[in-house]
Amino acid sequence: MIQLKNVNKSFSTVKALDDVSLEINGGEFFGLLGPNGAGKSTTMSILIGYLAADSGNIFINGEEVKTDELNFRKEIGFVPQSIALYDELSAEENLKIFGSLYGLPKPELEEAMNSYLNAVGLYDRRKEEVRNYSGGMKRRLNLITALLHKPKVLLCDEPTVGVDPQSRNAIFDFLEKLNADGLTIVYTTHYMEEAERLCNRVAIIDSGKIIALATPDELLQMLPTSEHIYITKNDATVSNVNVFKSYGEIIDNNDRYELRLNKESKLSSFFGALENANVNVQNVTIQKPTLEELFLNLTGKRLRD
Amino acid sequence: MKTILQLVKKDYKLFLKDKVALSLTFIIPMVLIALFGAVFGGAGDFEKLSLGFVNQSSSKVAKTIETTLDTTKTFRLIKSYKNEKGETVLYDSNTIKTAVMSGKFSAAIVLPEDAFTDTSSSLKMKFYYDPKNDMESQVIQGVLQQTIMQSIPEVFTQSMQKKSESFLGKDTGKMFNSEMNKTISKYFKVDTSEIYGNMNKGTTKKSTDTTKSKKGGFNMFDNMLNLEKYQLVGKQVTNPMATRSVGGWAMMFLLFSLAGASRSLFEEKQSGVMIRLLSSPVTRTQILWSKYIYNMTVGIIQLVVLFLGGMFLFKIDIFSNFLNLMLLITASSIACTAFGMFLASFTKTSAQANGLGTLLILTMSAVGGSWFPVSMMPETIQFFSKFTITYWSIEGFLAVLWRGSGFMEILPFLGILLGIGIVVNIVSYFNFKRGNIFRN
Ligand SMILES: Nc1ncnc2c1ncn2[C@@H]1O[C@H](COP(=O)(O)OP(=O)(O)OP(=O)(O)O)[C@@H](O)[C@H]1O
Ligand SMILES: [Mg+2]
Repeated sequence: MIQLKNVNKSFSTVKALDDVSLEINGGEFFGLLGPNGAGKSTTMSILIGYLAADSGNIFINGEEVKTDELNFRKEIGFVPQSIALYDELSAEENLKIFGSLYGLPKPELEEAMNSYLNAVGLYDRRKEEVRNYSGGMKRRLNLITALLHKPKVLLCDEPTVGVDPQSRNAIFDFLEKLNADGLTIVYTTHYMEEAERLCNRVAIIDSGKIIALATPDELLQMLPTSEHIYITKNDATVSNVNVFKSYGEIIDNNDRYELRLNKESKLSSFFGALENANVNVQNVTIQKPTLEELFLNLTGKRLRD
Repeated sequence: MKTILQLVKKDYKLFLKDKVALSLTFIIPMVLIALFGAVFGGAGDFEKLSLGFVNQSSSKVAKTIETTLDTTKTFRLIKSYKNEKGETVLYDSNTIKTAVMSGKFSAAIVLPEDAFTDTSSSLKMKFYYDPKNDMESQVIQGVLQQTIMQSIPEVFTQSMQKKSESFLGKDTGKMFNSEMNKTISKYFKVDTSEIYGNMNKGTTKKSTDTTKSKKGGFNMFDNMLNLEKYQLVGKQVTNPMATRSVGGWAMMFLLFSLAGASRSLFEEKQSGVMIRLLSSPVTRTQILWSKYIYNMTVGIIQLVVLFLGGMFLFKIDIFSNFLNLMLLITASSIACTAFGMFLASFTKTSAQANGLGTLLILTMSAVGGSWFPVSMMPETIQFFSKFTITYWSIEGFLAVLWRGSGFMEILPFLGILLGIGIVVNIVSYFNFKRGNIFRN
């Protein structure tokens, strides 16, 4: 469906994309995960033909992507990272303007508008100027503006920045439904949780390079440790610290210990030891490893500073 | 094409929502035009044209002309100067020539001793002017003619009654501007129909009041009609200074609004709308064309509205030569749109475009004659005036509105404006291709 072959792109001194090759299949929910400046937006810009790559080839649906090549553009919907709307116009007017560029017949456009406005809960406020919208509402409108012409591929560049958790969940549900209905989605983010929740495959990009590409589960397998175990400090736990140490590495974090289990240690035997030592299991929390850690592990730096 | 029109429609939608842009385009310029028109065109000496004046004739007619010119709002008659000793000396026919040549004022009138005698068939007047200040002397001639005609028709009634068929031929002064005579005869030509009308009325009503000396009149007008062979210039201008002022200010605001309109490219880029547009089936060239068409049409509407304003405020007659005026308005708008696009094409940010634009527009307006007639500026500046859009537009407007110029006469103005437009646009197009607007 989407293919990038050895794509390179530099801006004066910055190498924004360094020999990027990706293949995204029809129906996938594909994540592109990376920190600020990793090259996510640059990849998107090249995918829509806004920027020309310095070298390499890009195909969407078998058509080669080029600046000023219009054929493939009808097949894609693009949600820019910024809120690309006319503030002084209403939601409806915005949708009409952008929709009209695809040459949709009026009734069709109208129908798509109303159904998407309903789907993201903006129908009742469709006649209001966008400038009066909250950040989250603008994001939702920004998203559906890319969908009016029923594209086959949706490219979303960080579509949930600055959206509260509830609205974010609503957007996720919406996107998941679209994906279930057959829409191919490419989704960039620097939130691990988003990629984990939404994507069936994730590429991790850093400094213009793809450093990992797999399903979220496979990626987690690549971590040296699996679970994180946190133990609240109290009399019982402090006195038993040596017991814990026999299962792995203990890191003293002021108010709690973090236990990194050795590969050979089993969670079940650790819990057996807890019982023997009379330590209440309530003092122990277990956390699944995250892509965040994988990223830290792969690159030596955190996703968000 | 459909895409371009959709984009243009979008820009108009935004424009109509933008109260600030609307008032900057129409209301504020109108208020300023009214204000400055009233200040400079009405009272005060500021925009009065200096006109050297010597009256050597003792005839009543000459005296009437002198008083009339003295009391008009348009002219400041200069009859004397201070010599080295600081004494006030009246100009005579020689010293006044020197004064014109040295540029003290751009034109002078001498009524010679025999300006109008009992045997005169015409009014003799010497008109000295400096051809460098052609524009201004044109103005002076136009207004002069109009003032004299309107104020003292009896001069000419008398002169007509002398029935000399060729009162135009006798050119006495060496530098006598023969156009002066032609314009005068134009006046007669124009008025004959009116007077004919009156006379017809008069004869049917058998009233003698409105038509003095019918009989003589008929013969005389027959003679007058022979004058039609002259290709006449000079058109009655109701309010010459206001015409300049409306044209000048309108041009300045046109430049401002078109520079502003082009800046919307930066705003669209900033907000990400540009990238959204380009992710849909729209090409960069289509976006440029849409901006171009939008800016140009807004420019045309703006100029038309401001001239209409001028018509209501100052009775500028825009309709008698409307087609040519429209051609000039269109050409001016094309050139100014090109200017705005050029600004956007090689600056990097809206702020840059804004700053540089303001600087260029103010310079162009000052040098190009938006504020004062170019002919009143020093020669070196006049040289640079010719490199401004403003200059060619204003001169063109004046040609159309003052001189009633026809298509062939305004062709040079149209040509230059369109030429500027085309050249600047080509440069901008290539700038855009390399430039920042369409880059990340
Ligand atoms: N127009 C440009 N001129 C110069 N450098 C640029 C330009 N656009 C992007 N870059 C650089 O290219 C690199 C990749 O930028 P890009 O916008 O693709 O990052 P990103 O992954 O989208 O980051 P973010 O999460 O902050 O949006 C960065 O180092 C950025 O500074
Ligand atoms: Mg980005």
